[in-house]
Amino acid sequence: MMKNDGGVILFWLLLLFTLYARGKSYSVPGKPTLTRCRSPEKETFTCWWEPSSDGGLPTTYKLYYRKEDSSDVEYECQDYRTGGKNSCFFNKNYTSIWVNYNITIVAINALGQTFSDPVDIDVYYIVEPNPPENLNVTIQNDKGWPFLRASWDPPKKADTRSGWITLIYELRIKLEEEDEWEIRDVGQQKVFNIYGLQSEGTYVVQIRCRPDHGFWSEWSADVQVKVPNYLRRNRSTWIMIIVFSAVVFLILSWLLHINSRNLKHCLLPPVPGPKIKGFDKKLHKSGKSLDAFKSLDVPDFPHHTFSKSEDLLVEFIEVYVPEEQELMLEKSNDLHDGCLKSESSVSDCDSGRGSCDSHTLLLDKSGQQTDTQDSQIDEQRLGEDLQDEKLSYAHQDMVSPDMSAGRVKTWPSVFSPLPQNRSTSADQASSLEMAKQHCLSDSLLPSEFLTSYHSLSGHGTRDHLGSNYWEFNFGNKRPNLTQPQTEARHQAHSEINIFTTGVKAEPTALKFPTPRSSDYVEVQRVNEEDSIVLRPVGSNYDKHFEIQQGEEYSRVKGVDSDNVLLLLQKEAMEEEMDMCPCEQLSGTTEAHYTKFSTSPEKPTAYTHPTPQPLEERVVNGYVDTATMFTMPPY
Amino acid sequence: MMLAVCSVWLLLVCLVLYSRLKVAAAAPTCTNGQAGCHVLSLANLFDRVIQHSARMHGISNDLHSEFELYFLPSKNQIGRVSRNCHTSTILTPNGKENAQRMAREELTEVILKLLVAWRDPLWHFHQSLAHNHEFSNFSSNKSLEMSDMVHELRKGVQKVIEKMKMLGIMGNSLGGLGTSESLLAPDSAEWRLMKDYDLLYCFRRDSSKIQNYLKILKCRIVPEHGC
Repeated sequence: MMKNDGGVILFWLLLLFTLYARGKSYSVPGKPTLTRCRSPEKETFTCWWEPSSDGGLPTTYKLYYRKEDSSDVEYECQDYRTGGKNSCFFNKNYTSIWVNYNITIVAINALGQTFSDPVDIDVYYIVEPNPPENLNVTIQNDKGWPFLRASWDPPKKADTRSGWITLIYELRIKLEEEDEWEIRDVGQQKVFNIYGLQSEGTYVVQIRCRPDHGFWSEWSADVQVKVPNYLRRNRSTWIMIIVFSAVVFLILSWLLHINSRNLKHCLLPPVPGPKIKGFDKKLHKSGKSLDAFKSLDVPDFPHHTFSKSEDLLVEFIEVYVPEEQELMLEKSNDLHDGCLKSESSVSDCDSGRGSCDSHTLLLDKSGQQTDTQDSQIDEQRLGEDLQDEKLSYAHQDMVSPDMSAGRVKTWPSVFSPLPQNRSTSADQASSLEMAKQHCLSDSLLPSEFLTSYHSLSGHGTRDHLGSNYWEFNFGNKRPNLTQPQTEARHQAHSEINIFTTGVKAEPTALKFPTPRSSDYVEVQRVNEEDSIVLRPVGSNYDKHFEIQQGEEYSRVKGVDSDNVLLLLQKEAMEEEMDMCPCEQLSGTTEAHYTKFSTSPEKPTAYTHPTPQPLEERVVNGYVDTATMFTMPPY
Repeated sequence: MMLAVCSVWLLLVCLVLYSRLKVAAAAPTCTNGQAGCHVLSLANLFDRVIQHSARMHGISNDLHSEFELYFLPSKNQIGRVSRNCHTSTILTPNGKENAQRMAREELTEVILKLLVAWRDPLWHFHQSLAHNHEFSNFSSNKSLEMSDMVHELRKGVQKVIEKMKMLGIMGNSLGGLGTSESLLAPDSAEWRLMKDYDLLYCFRRDSSKIQNYLKILKCRIVPEHGC
């Protein structure tokens, strides 16, 4: 019993003791690890290790190594102190390059020993040199521009002189206040220049090196250098630069100011206003529309050069009221001459001049034949005959075309209504002024204009046209007539200025309430007396007149022997678009011609019979209508 | 007419080029005292050879790292310590003092021996790499380059030796190439036992030895240029 009790007590005592002793346990030391080995000059090297737990007991560490060429022999480290704690230093005698070292660390304490994992090293590949020494940075001058020159020495221990180690260097530089370094590769040289310095800046320079098969060294100590102020002596340069830039700026601003309007125009193009010549916006705005429209009347029309209205080339018929015979004579002569000239200059009729080329207005009035003589009498007669018709409006207008640049421009003919109680003589030539046929008016018509005209006519806007325009197409109005412009053609021609749809393009808002001097007249029909019935352009008259939709335009093909103006019917004219009218005069296609006689088939226009035979004047198919009509007295 | 002009022009161009090529390519072998001959100085020769060896070492290093990635040998092999390179029979200085103590002729001979020893193994290594589709073209090309470089470097070193002999720097005690070759002839079978990785390991080391010995030679013989 006593023994049992003793055993129990002993058991409990042991248990207590073990419990007490748990706080301090001793064990074999933990496994150390070799952290790194380094050689500064490829002649010696040092290895460091990291111990782990010591097991609570004092532990010693030993380093053993084997060499490749004598692997059966195990060596122990000879120097545990030079490298510091937990290190082993191999001096020159124990260092072999290109030899594999197999190193093991052993941790030994009272309870046992623990081996670390073996590590293989080759000294050739673990070289980490010391940083370069004696870094020296000086300021040099290169023609007034300073630069830094850095020079240094290799680390003392590294033997580069014998070629045992080859070092390459790296330099870094920054301004004192900056954070980021600028790194420069230097190579094997020991001197380096740095350019591009900031004036009065303080620079910090560092250098490091490495062997061609090893690790980088640490950065050397800082070297500070201050760059002097080198911009002072260039102050004059700065002044010049400032002055020059100021001058340039002034010039630019002046140029800008000069061209401000153009620039504004370019950048912010103005909204186009109504492009009616003579239209006064202000007046219109002010509400006096009548006045505004009045202003469209251009009294000095012949002399007014519409320099910008080349796109408004219009063919129109001038209704001309001659004041004096002499004037007319003069004019007619001039026109005649001019016309002849133009005719001679346009010897070929193949140029597709189209309607312009047909100078002749074949007037057939009750079998009368038109003459082709050059005399104002013809014109007069024509004027008379025309006057006999109910030409409400006639306007002497349209002059010799503007010869600028050798081109004839047609202007929109503004037809002024003739007072009914005019003298007959005045009326003779006034009603229908065939004074000039604008020979080249169609050629002068820009193609787009012609096309617009053509399109207009083609698209069934005829009623539109018919209502507003006096379509007296004596030749010029073929849109297809894209004839080449010949310079000499319209030398003071007598023109049949036919007011075409070009004018039509004008806003139709311009409705002339009452026939006025600037109203347009429109050929409404040819009545039984072979007179052209004109009516003024205007909405008022629309209802009163019947319009022949089909053939508002006819093209003067020529003058036949009976002094009849041969006009093409609409369809025929379209067919013969590109044909030279002169070819047609032979008469083969006469069927297409509309003869104006007492019983015209489809009279589209009434042509005033000329007193003279016109065929004489037909040169190459062109008749100079100047001989037929009097010139307006301009 | 145009064709004739063109052909004449082409002919002229060809003639010019040919003449220039002749001038460039036919660098005459210079004998002593020949004028107009561009003679390479010994320092230049040394520089070229050292650069060549540096490149060779670089390639071998790359290939070795590649192999290490793919064929990672177990670290704890005891046998690894006693890796037997077939060139271990060649006595090479393993330290600076040893190398400096060696006469220049001896050192040169060591270099030559090493270069000779590696010519065949590298060639066969390249062959095995080329036929083995496991390896990339990159590795195969590198091995070929390595093999060529060994060959070229040997020729370059021989030229240096010739130059040195010519300049009287080196005596004629240097054994001819024949002795080096004959040394290795009976042992030629040894390298066949090496595995690829070991071969690369050995060559990497040997190429670094060659490079270092050449540098030592240069700084000993022509120290004024970059030593």
